[in-house]
Amino acid sequence: MPVDLDNSSTVSGDASVSSTGNQNPPPKSAGKKKRNLPGMPDPDAEVIALSPKTLMATNRFVCEICNKGFQRDQNLQLHRRGHNLPWKLRQRSSKEVRKKVYVCPVAGCVHHEPSRALGDLTGIKKHFCRKHGEKKWKCEKCSKKYAVQSDWKAHSKICGTKEYRCDCGTLFSRRDSFITHRAFCDALAEESAKNHTQSKKLYPETVTRKNPEPDQKSPTVVDSHPPPPSPPSVALAPTPAISAETEPTKIVTSSVLPIRSSSESPENNAPEVIIEEAPRTIGFHVSLSGLSNDHSNNNGAYAGLFATSTASPSLYASSTPSPSLFAPSSSIEPISLCLSTSPSLFGPTIQDPPHFLTPLAPQPAMSATALLQKAAQMGSTGSGGSLLRGLGIVSTTSSSMELSNHDGASLAPGLGLGLPCSSGGSGSGLKELMMGNSSVFGPKQTTLDFLGLGRAVGNGGNPGGGLSALLTSIGNGGGIDLFGNAEFSGKDISRSS
Amino acid sequence: MEAELRSNTSTPISVQSPGLLGTALRGCLGSLDGACIEKLLLHCASALESNDVTLAQQVMWVLNNVASALGDPNQRLTSWFLRALISRASRVYPTSMNFNTGNALQRRLMSITELVAYVDLIPWHRFGFCASNSAIFRIIEGYSKVHILDFSITYCMQWPTLVDVLGKRPEGPPSLRITVPSVRPPVPPFLNVSSEEVGLRLANFARSRDVLFELRMIEADSPSSVKNSYCNSLLSKLNILDLDLMDDEALVINCQNWIRYLPEEHKDAFLNIIKGLNPRIIIIVDEDCDLNSSSSLAARITNGFNYLWIPFDSLETFLPKESSQRIEYEADIGYKIENIIGFEGSQRIERLECGIKLSQRMNNIGFSSVAFGEESVKEVKELLDEHASGWGMKQDNDMLVLTWKGHNSVYATAWVPNGYED
Repeated sequence: MPVDLDNSSTVSGDASVSSTGNQNPPPKSAGKKKRNLPGMPDPDAEVIALSPKTLMATNRFVCEICNKGFQRDQNLQLHRRGHNLPWKLRQRSSKEVRKKVYVCPVAGCVHHEPSRALGDLTGIKKHFCRKHGEKKWKCEKCSKKYAVQSDWKAHSKICGTKEYRCDCGTLFSRRDSFITHRAFCDALAEESAKNHTQSKKLYPETVTRKNPEPDQKSPTVVDSHPPPPSPPSVALAPTPAISAETEPTKIVTSSVLPIRSSSESPENNAPEVIIEEAPRTIGFHVSLSGLSNDHSNNNGAYAGLFATSTASPSLYASSTPSPSLFAPSSSIEPISLCLSTSPSLFGPTIQDPPHFLTPLAPQPAMSATALLQKAAQMGSTGSGGSLLRGLGIVSTTSSSMELSNHDGASLAPGLGLGLPCSSGGSGSGLKELMMGNSSVFGPKQTTLDFLGLGRAVGNGGNPGGGLSALLTSIGNGGGIDLFGNAEFSGKDISRSS
Repeated sequence: MEAELRSNTSTPISVQSPGLLGTALRGCLGSLDGACIEKLLLHCASALESNDVTLAQQVMWVLNNVASALGDPNQRLTSWFLRALISRASRVYPTSMNFNTGNALQRRLMSITELVAYVDLIPWHRFGFCASNSAIFRIIEGYSKVHILDFSITYCMQWPTLVDVLGKRPEGPPSLRITVPSVRPPVPPFLNVSSEEVGLRLANFARSRDVLFELRMIEADSPSSVKNSYCNSLLSKLNILDLDLMDDEALVINCQNWIRYLPEEHKDAFLNIIKGLNPRIIIIVDEDCDLNSSSSLAARITNGFNYLWIPFDSLETFLPKESSQRIEYEADIGYKIENIIGFEGSQRIERLECGIKLSQRMNNIGFSSVAFGEESVKEVKELLDEHASGWGMKQDNDMLVLTWKGHNSVYATAWVPNGYED
């Protein structure tokens, strides 16, 4: 009795989509059958598209006796024989069974196209896992990750089977590394001091074939590492505190990025920049020195700089100069970078409204400007789509969010970003620039946030409370603590006229 | 193109409301891939160049929201570029900034065994070591005395494997002298022991392999002297007398990631001098990217961004995002980025020249390239098999090129003075 043990019978029933075949017109006579290359299916085959869920479903066919699950009914039937239960295998039909090929459910994947379908279900499953799935199988020894268990098993068998062990206890999988380590390791120096004459015995090229204890596997180098250097400013070396502090990071990400829903976007459709009052001062004052201390600030290298991150005092606060960003070792003096606080240095301020909308010169800038503009326009169904709004730098109420004149010379060490501007009553200068206050950008307080960077929501009474909303949504509401110094928080920082 | 190719490493910006913006910006800002980030970096640089601080600040703000030192490879790379731009901004307007220049940033000092792990983290260095040592081993066949002039930044990390194979040479190990300059370019990695200590350990190791070994230093002036004079001082020491060259020894000149640190006006001079030393072979290995001294800031951003993603991307394949080894390795690349973007003139010491240009330069000076043999190619392939699958190698005429996902990473070339071809 010919038994069809291929999986097509069970699988085709699950097919969410079953097309009638390839788009290519099937050749009339197959002639000599060639071995099909992967992804080059027989044009006659039936193309089966399974949903990801179906594809990944495992062991759906469960034996009622022992609860063992099977991926295919045919296999369950064979298993049932062992329990002396009635079983039934589908007989191969007299007609030639049409070959089935499977496509990947992910649109855009090469194997999504019927012309590149794979010939067996297992193949497409593995493909789907490897290319589109989570790599949840991690090798304990080398930390490599695999999406397919069998890949992981295969790797695990060979990983660490060939190891070189130095007398210092460090293990190596590569001989080059081992030799080099060996040459410079203290172990050799000590050994040769002891054993000067027996040079031949100095080859402790122990190639172990057993798997050592897991804890020995990680190169000791890792363990002995000193605290890593502070990566870019903010990058914060993983110190013990980091795990506890990563959560704010996550919060920052999510709260910084949401895009305003259209319901929140205001009714203003005019995408023009209206500047009623020219700002008097634009400063750009950057101090990086305080940033590296901020372990919760991993997500944006300069999050502190732009005050998009949490406003918790500890973030920027550095009553003592913190380990500088630039210096991996804490012994280094903090270096603060400041961009001028003096308007004259930078020449053009935004007295010329379209200034920052016009490309300054080089081609790349042009396209980037265009990019930003395009983005602003695209998103600007409901607002005065100025570039700044487009940037999500949204307005704030002048009462709560005065970013005011800040004496650049006496910068607080933790100062993330000094935005010195002589903030007049109506608020001019950088405050408007960064905040998109109405006086600069027009009567409407609406904001548009194409990057979703500043979320002007949740601040009901505050017509344009983008930044404050942003800050509150990110931090603990102390968003005013833009300068990152606890002493400067709240109204203290605002020296509004 | 480059950025397009890496779209699979793009940085997704999470979009909470998939409304109008999500659809409108799909493929662009909804997912800030390399191309978008590169545009923003260029935009920021051009704003700085034209004194438009406001615009620069805005673009930095956007970049900052993309950048993450512990994020995915593009985010991490962006954070270093952003930092470099800020550093540049602060340097361009020195009168107004509260910039405590102090001295060059100090870097972590590694122990010597940490340096071994560092060098072998990805095949970036080992590729050059492997190809070079294989070529050197072949060219010195039959010689009983070998002298290597070693110009590199990795403190003799290249030599244990050569010593190891020399010890097993059928005709018996040669005596080996290695001469290094006493001063190296001030770039990471930095070691917490002296060169003398390195030499002692290497000699000890060589003894264990029955190789007669000596490490010598070319005493150039201290680094505190003016840069050019250091270089001049070094060049003046490259003569038969000071180097103590001997007729019966095979001279090998090895330049690993080093030529780029020569001032432009000294590159040819250096090559002419070493040509005159009558070496058996000259090895030049460097990163295959063009950042030479005449490049504009925009060109450096473009070239650097479309090149330096490679180590970031490769580290992603096997180290967790918060791995301290990874962070440190990236920090050292960040150090380079800061030099490339943040500085001009003689302060910008990362003056990379791509392999093709270097080859032209070598040809103009009167060198002929030497092919790496089959054995070298095989050894390099075996090396790469032991690393992530993205690494590959291609042969471009006589040049070997390490590739990551098909992109050129590091080139290795071997040369002899014209007329000395075998």
